[in-house]
Amino acid sequence: MDAVQHLMAGLGAAMSPGNLMFAFAGCMLGTLIGLLPGLGPAAGTAILIPLTFSLDATGAIIMLCAIYYGAMYGGTITSVLINVPGEAASVITCIDGYAMARQGRAGSALAIAAIGSFVGGTAATIALVVVAIPLATLALKFGPAEFFGLMVAGLCLVIGLAGKNLMAALLMTVLGLLLAMIGLDPVRGAPRFTFGLPELYDGIGFVPVVMGLFGIGELLLAAERRETRMIEADLKKWNPTKEEWRASAGAIGRGTVIGFVLGLIPGVGAIVPTFMAYVLEKRVSKTPERFGNGAIEGVASAETANNAYANASMVPLLALGVPSSPTIAVLMGAFIVNGITPGPFLFTERPELVWTVIASFFVGNVILLILNLPLVGLWAKLLRIPFSYMCTGVLIFCVIGAYGLKQSLFDVWIMLGFGVLGYLLRKLDLPLAPAILALILGPMMERSLRTTLEISAGSFAIFLDRPLALALLTIPVIVLGFMLLKPRAFAPVRQADAE
Amino acid sequence: MPSGARQGWLIATSIMLALCLLAVWQSSLLALTDKLGPGPGFFPFWLSLIGSGFSLALLIGIVRGPADPPDAEPILPSGHGARRIGAIIGTLAVTALLMEVLGFQLAMLGFNIVLLVALGERRWIAISLFAVAGSFGVYYVFTRWLDVLLPAGLLGL
Repeated sequence: MDAVQHLMAGLGAAMSPGNLMFAFAGCMLGTLIGLLPGLGPAAGTAILIPLTFSLDATGAIIMLCAIYYGAMYGGTITSVLINVPGEAASVITCIDGYAMARQGRAGSALAIAAIGSFVGGTAATIALVVVAIPLATLALKFGPAEFFGLMVAGLCLVIGLAGKNLMAALLMTVLGLLLAMIGLDPVRGAPRFTFGLPELYDGIGFVPVVMGLFGIGELLLAAERRETRMIEADLKKWNPTKEEWRASAGAIGRGTVIGFVLGLIPGVGAIVPTFMAYVLEKRVSKTPERFGNGAIEGVASAETANNAYANASMVPLLALGVPSSPTIAVLMGAFIVNGITPGPFLFTERPELVWTVIASFFVGNVILLILNLPLVGLWAKLLRIPFSYMCTGVLIFCVIGAYGLKQSLFDVWIMLGFGVLGYLLRKLDLPLAPAILALILGPMMERSLRTTLEISAGSFAIFLDRPLALALLTIPVIVLGFMLLKPRAFAPVRQADAE
Repeated sequence: MPSGARQGWLIATSIMLALCLLAVWQSSLLALTDKLGPGPGFFPFWLSLIGSGFSLALLIGIVRGPADPPDAEPILPSGHGARRIGAIIGTLAVTALLMEVLGFQLAMLGFNIVLLVALGERRWIAISLFAVAGSFGVYYVFTRWLDVLLPAGLLGL
């Protein structure tokens, strides 16, 4: 079967009442999480994992993916109405979105953001369908040496692009990898860093760690911030004018291309495509002085790029098994919790699952458009939920999520400890992205390296005999060498320690 | 490094250096190699050794770097923000301690009431409704509908 036939079969499964309900619930919850200032898609996805404990693997993944791209849109609402990005990728939307709201054009801003998100997300999913099988087929030829090279390359791209301080990013990577080593050695079964505690024999659970680092950590940060004021907008008039449509069309097209291309590169982060799409739009505009004062192209380009990126970042996860951002790492953790290992084998071993999930992206984008155009007024009302209730509600989910997977109160303590750690790391501006990606990739990296060295009887020369592995391992050398030699080379990108 | 963060970075990097050195020692107790190739200590040993190097390099960079400006924003919270953060961490810790004894429902009922009040909420009807829904209601939904096991406590609640 080719990709189109697989996709059609997947669409059939994704349109089943159960899967439709999971996609709908995911989009609703994701939008809700996205519009709560302080909780980004990584935190939202992590917090809502317990809702999927009892679902079948396909339903659980559909719901969590829908939460992810729902959260990416939800952040737009707060950006436009209260000038606070619900998640990092919506920072750029604040510039013109909030200016439009002050001019009484909040409805148009939110409508064009929803339409741009739909176009960007759908186009990126079509491109995903086209590139996923060739990429997965190529990856099927990989041996353990190539997989080790791939994971090191992916991790180093995240290190190189995610942090403001390269040494700190490297250190955070080591921290993540060391945390991944806790528990029984995956090859020989020897306990490592367990200090005699039986609770640590299974290792540190990914779910309590991400819930702590992202959920509790972001909540503690939000608890420290000041209250914000919402603009009273007339959201009944949301249909953009003809001029606004004309101005946005090109921006949506360019934002889609930028978002998709950058979504394929691990470590870029969601804020970079939005930033680049915005800058490009300002450059090509005949009236660049309107940007910052309510230019609808500014909102359209950023929001389109944001959602195109979100869908494109699924390509490295599904085809190669490499997460490109913390949120995707959380999703990868959810895949693993459900007994599925993302990567090229998924397309041959579980085609029905992977194509149903991909097809659900199309369905989810339609649901989001339906949810976000007519219901934008309802979402805006939810912004009035007092912080005390929002915070308490989120914490209830965190406790259930941490406890529920293994029925262990020890995991609740792990979550609390990592919550405080996540808060402190954010306050110190130490990058979390490399740590969380290293935590999820650590066991696979170690297994690949050890299998490779077992094949070669302990000789590292095996990497020289395998050109693809060698090529992949030169990527980190080039990226990190470039960062060390020209620390300002990635300055605009490095501001984007997104998510 | 954010303004005012020098001391925080010094402490964080020192802790990381100590953790990496502990990991070097712990992994050196495991076999680094065996007859099949690398042993269980191989990866963590080299990793923690590299981590120690990074920590040391970062520590030297911070020590040699400029001091924080006098008007630098403090890293740790104060006033209202600190009280809110303390309330969240404190109530969560006490709840985790009591959950095994009281069970999810009673522990969460107390958690909801105490945290809402600590965060400034004073509408008692709203607090009561939210507390009951967020404890007994959530327990019912998760255990009956979503098949998630939650602690019942000594009273079986």
